[in-house]
Amino acid sequence: MGVEPGRLQFSWISSAESTKFVDVVTKVTEAVKTLGPNQRFVKKEAKVA
Amino acid sequence: MVNYSDKIREISKRLLKDCKVDMIIGFRKGSVPMMNEPHFARTAEDVDELVWDSNCGINLANYLTDRKEKIGVAAKGCDSRNIVTHILENKIKREQLTIIGVPCKGMIDKRKIAGLVEGEVLEVTEDEEQINVKSSGGKKSFKKTEVLQENCAVCIHRNPVVYDEMVAEPVPEQTDVDRYEDVRKIEEMDPEQRWAYFDDLFKECIRCYACRNACPLCYCPTCFVDEAKPQWVGKSQDPIDIRTFHFLRAYHCAGRCTDCGACQRACPVGINMRMLTKKLEKDCKDLYNWEAGLTLDSRPPLDFYRPDDPEDFIK
Amino acid sequence: MDSHRINQLTHQRINQSRRDTDMKIVAIDKKDWEKGLDRLREAYRLIGPVKEDRYHYFRELPQGQAPDFDFFNTRISAKEIVYPQSEDLFEYTLDETKEDYHLLKEVEKDYSPKAVLGIRPCDAKAVELVKLNFDTDDYKDPYWLRAWEATTFVGLACDSPCSTCFCTTAGCGPYHEEGLDVLLADDGDRYVAKVLTEKGENFMKAAGWTEGAEAEARFESGKSAAEEKIVSTVSTEKLRSADTLALHGNEEMWEDISFSCINCGTCTFVCPTCWCFDIQDEVHGKQGRRMRNWDSCMFPIFTVHTTGHNPRGTKLQRVRQRFMHKLKYFVDKYDAGIMCVGCGRCVQQCPVNIDIRRVCDLMDRYGATDACAVEG
Ligand code: SF4
Ligand code: SF4
Ligand code: SF4
Ligand code: SF4
Repeated sequence: MGVEPGRLQFSWISSAESTKFVDVVTKVTEAVKTLGPNQRFVKKEAKVA
Repeated sequence: MVNYSDKIREISKRLLKDCKVDMIIGFRKGSVPMMNEPHFARTAEDVDELVWDSNCGINLANYLTDRKEKIGVAAKGCDSRNIVTHILENKIKREQLTIIGVPCKGMIDKRKIAGLVEGEVLEVTEDEEQINVKSSGGKKSFKKTEVLQENCAVCIHRNPVVYDEMVAEPVPEQTDVDRYEDVRKIEEMDPEQRWAYFDDLFKECIRCYACRNACPLCYCPTCFVDEAKPQWVGKSQDPIDIRTFHFLRAYHCAGRCTDCGACQRACPVGINMRMLTKKLEKDCKDLYNWEAGLTLDSRPPLDFYRPDDPEDFIK
Repeated sequence: MDSHRINQLTHQRINQSRRDTDMKIVAIDKKDWEKGLDRLREAYRLIGPVKEDRYHYFRELPQGQAPDFDFFNTRISAKEIVYPQSEDLFEYTLDETKEDYHLLKEVEKDYSPKAVLGIRPCDAKAVELVKLNFDTDDYKDPYWLRAWEATTFVGLACDSPCSTCFCTTAGCGPYHEEGLDVLLADDGDRYVAKVLTEKGENFMKAAGWTEGAEAEARFESGKSAAEEKIVSTVSTEKLRSADTLALHGNEEMWEDISFSCINCGTCTFVCPTCWCFDIQDEVHGKQGRRMRNWDSCMFPIFTVHTTGHNPRGTKLQRVRQRFMHKLKYFVDKYDAGIMCVGCGRCVQQCPVNIDIRRVCDLMDRYGATDACAVEG
C-alpha cells in the first residue's frame, strides 16, 4: 500500500529468549528511526468539510 | 444463453415439485440494461421469472448466508467457489443445498460498454459470442470477449467446482491468461508511488460499503468499520479512514477471495478495490499454492498450520 | 398542529423564498460565458459539474475552469453542496489546563456566497424537499440553512433526459423552476436565462449578463419537447389513500422487493432527497471534533439502541422503511408529493437493480385495491 517495508517486521521469540528479544527490539527501533516519523496511515485530524 | 434460462427453469421446477428444495435462488430480468436482479422462486410460477445471461455478475453465495431453508441455487464458477468457502466457514450446510451449476463464459462489463458507445445505453442483447448495444447515439456490436468484466477476462475456473445438477456441458477453461499483470505493476512501484496509486484509486469512494456488502465473505454481524465499542476506524470521509477500511477488509478476505468481481461490479463509482484482494490472492497462490474454494476437503491457509509454511519474512 | 396547517406553512415558506421579481429572460452569448464566470468569481465561489475519470461530479471551479455542461446528470446529487457528506460542527479541548476545556465551540466555516452552475431542476427541487426537514418552525438547522442561504442555484434545463428519468410524474420536470434562482437553457450559440429570484438577479448582475431577450417561446417549446422525451413514469395518485398499516404489513410484497438488497447505502447516498445523518466525535490527543456524516436507513447500525436492541434488525424492515418514508409517510406528513424527484440515480446505481419505479407502482396499486375494498 505504500508503507515502507522496513517499518514492519516479524520475529519468533520464545519467552525464554530474552537476549534475542532485546536484540530484535533494538534493531527494529534503529531501522524505524532511520526511516523517520511515519507519515502513512497517520490521521492527525479528520480532513472533512 | 436462452437455453441456460430454460434449463434452469426446468431443473428448478423439478426440484420444487419433488420437494427437494423450498426455494430457488437465481436472477430475474433487470429493469435497466446490463442488470439482473438476484431473486428467489418458491413456486413454479415464480420460476418463470428466472433468467440467465451475461449480466449475472452478482455473487449468489451472498444470498445463502445463515439461511435455514433447503435451497436450490444457480452457481457459476466463482459462485460455486464462494459456496465452498461458505460451507467450510459454517455459513450454510452442504446438505441444505442443491447446486445448479452454470458453466460460465464470463459476465459483461457494464461500465466498459457504457464507455464504448455514444450517449446512453438503452438496450443490450446478446447472441452467443456477440453483444449488441443500442444507445441514444446509435447501434454497435462487440465480441463478448472484448467487453468482459476484468475479473472474468482472466478467470481460470469458469466451471462450477461443486454441483448437483448442470445446465450444460462444461465450457473450456482459459489457460493462456496472465492473471496478475496488474498486480505485478503495483508490486514494482516504490512505496511513494504505491501510496499515490491507492490515494488516487480511492479518491471517489463514498463509503457506501456496496463492495463489502456485495461480497459473500463479508458476513460479520458487525463489521469492524461499524463497530462503536471500541471504535476502530473513523466514520468520516477522511482519506485515511477510507483507506483503512479498504485495506483491512482486503486482509479479511485473504485466502478466501475468489476474485468473483462482485465488489467492483457493485461499486457505484466504479472503483477497482480488487487491486487489494488480488494481491493477497496472488500471495496465497505463490506462498501456499492455494486457490480459494476449490475443494471441500482442505482448510484455507490462514486457518491452518503446516510445518513447511514459508516463513522467511520472519526474522 | 394538523397536517393541513403544516402544509400551508410549508407553501408559504416556499413562496417567501421565491419572492416575486419581474420574471426576466436574459441572453448570454457563449462568447461572453467565460468572461462572465471570471467576473462572478470576484463575488462567488463557483461550483459546477466536472468530469472525473468516468462520471460527472459537482466540484469547485477554479480560475480558468468552466463547468462541463455535456452531461446527463452527476453521479452524486447536488445535495452535498449545502450538506456535505462529512461536516465539522464543533471543536473542543479535553485539556483541563485550558480555560475553555470541555466547551463546544462552533467550527468556523466559509459561508461566503457561492453559486452552483448547471444543477438539474430535479436536484434543485430536491433541495426544497430537504429544506422541509432542516427548516421547521420548531427546529432550524443552522449549518444547513446558512449554507443554503449562501448558495445561488443556477439550473440547467434538461433537453435530453435519460431513459431512467421519471421527474414529470414525480412532481418535477426537465424545466421545473422550484428551488432555482436562475434557469438556463442552451440555445445554440447562446444561453437564455430565466431569472427567478432576487438572488438570481444579483447573480446575473455580478456576471454582467443583463441583455434582455424575448425567449419565452424557447422555454415553452423546450419544455414540452423535453417532457415528451421522458419515457419512464411512476403512479403516485393512490399512495395517499393507501392504508398505512396494511401496506406496511404486506410482508410478501416486501420480501419480493427486498430479497436482493445488500443494504449498502448507495441509494440513499446518491439520492438528492435523503437527509439522514449521524453525529460522531473524534478525539486526537486532547483535541476533539464533533462532526456529522451522512447516514443511511439501509445500514443495520442506523437504528441500533445502546442496549444492543435493533428495532429494524432485518433487511426487509430497512428496505420497507426507505420506501415507506419516501412514498407514504412523507406524502402523508407534508402533502408535498413524494420524497423523490425522479432523478433516477438509485435506479441506475443500485448494484442489485432494486427499482423505485417498480416499488412505487406496486405500492400505488396496493392503495387502489385497498381503497376499493373500503368503498365496496
Ligand atoms: S472480495 Fe470481491 S472478488 Fe473477492 S470474493 Fe469478495 S466480492 Fe468477490
Ligand atoms: S462500493 Fe465503491 S464507493 Fe462504496 S465503499 Fe466500496 S469502494 Fe467505496
Ligand atoms: S442501493 Fe440497492 S442494494 Fe444498496 S441499499 Fe439501496 S436498494 Fe439496497
Ligand atoms: S429516490 Fe431515487 S430517483 Fe428518487 S430522488 Fe432519490 S435517487 Fe432520485
